[in-house]
Amino acid sequence: MTWLLHLYPARWRQRYGEEFRAVLANQRNTPGLFFDVLAGAVDAHLHPQIQPSDSTHIQEGDTMTVAMLRRCAFGGPKLSPADRRVAWRVTIGSALVIAALEIGLAKIYRGATPVQALIYWSAPALSLIYEQTAYLRKRPARTQALILGGGLVGMYVFMLAVCAVAAKL
Amino acid sequence: MQKIKGDAELDDFGRFSEPALLILVSLAGEPRHGYSMTEDIAALAGVRLGPGTLYGAIARLEARGLIEPLKSEDRRNPYRLTALGERALRVRLNSMMAVARAGQRRLANA
Repeated sequence: MTWLLHLYPARWRQRYGEEFRAVLANQRNTPGLFFDVLAGAVDAHLHPQIQPSDSTHIQEGDTMTVAMLRRCAFGGPKLSPADRRVAWRVTIGSALVIAALEIGLAKIYRGATPVQALIYWSAPALSLIYEQTAYLRKRPARTQALILGGGLVGMYVFMLAVCAVAAKL
Repeated sequence: MQKIKGDAELDDFGRFSEPALLILVSLAGEPRHGYSMTEDIAALAGVRLGPGTLYGAIARLEARGLIEPLKSEDRRNPYRLTALGERALRVRLNSMMAVARAGQRRLANA
């Protein structure tokens, strides 16, 4: 039944794989054992306890995205009231800053494509800011900057391309 | 009742809180590796923890600094209780004893 170990996250296997295998070797193969190991694998993905090292930011982002998706798939995200409060404050603050920026830019560059893109970008951007602030709050600052910054820039580039194409039609 | 940090952390373990408590009790006597904990807990409480449950609880206890691994030359890594883990265990056991005493008193008067 040691093949079930492959269902666990790689980082988990690196940390506990050998000793887990040693314990498993001393157990009788039963349906109960199968489900226990399976439930352990699901838990290890949903609630990763091992903190990633600083040198694996890209991998960390991938793992978090997968964990967030799985969390949503298994009965919804679990956010603490403190996480929600912080996320709302950051989102409202960001909304005010973005609104001020849009009004200012719209006055100066009326009808310009980058400003149009910024206006269309703001609603999904605020949604992304809320989600990422809530879920990434306890992650290292560089990870937050990488995922949130990358997401926001990617969205803006997409909106800009759409607006540029629409302007030529 | 005011809870100290260690106690609150055990409550936060969800379905792993009982296995976590049993692991802390098992390690209170001496450092043990996974299989030794399973056997000790089976003898102590009549419950045989599966490896998925055992390592789910071990990972949580280790992440919160309640237990720590010792260096080992073979693949069976032993763990020991930390000072924080000992404190959390004492608080939890005292709380359980208070509940048990109250229950017994009420049963005696029933």
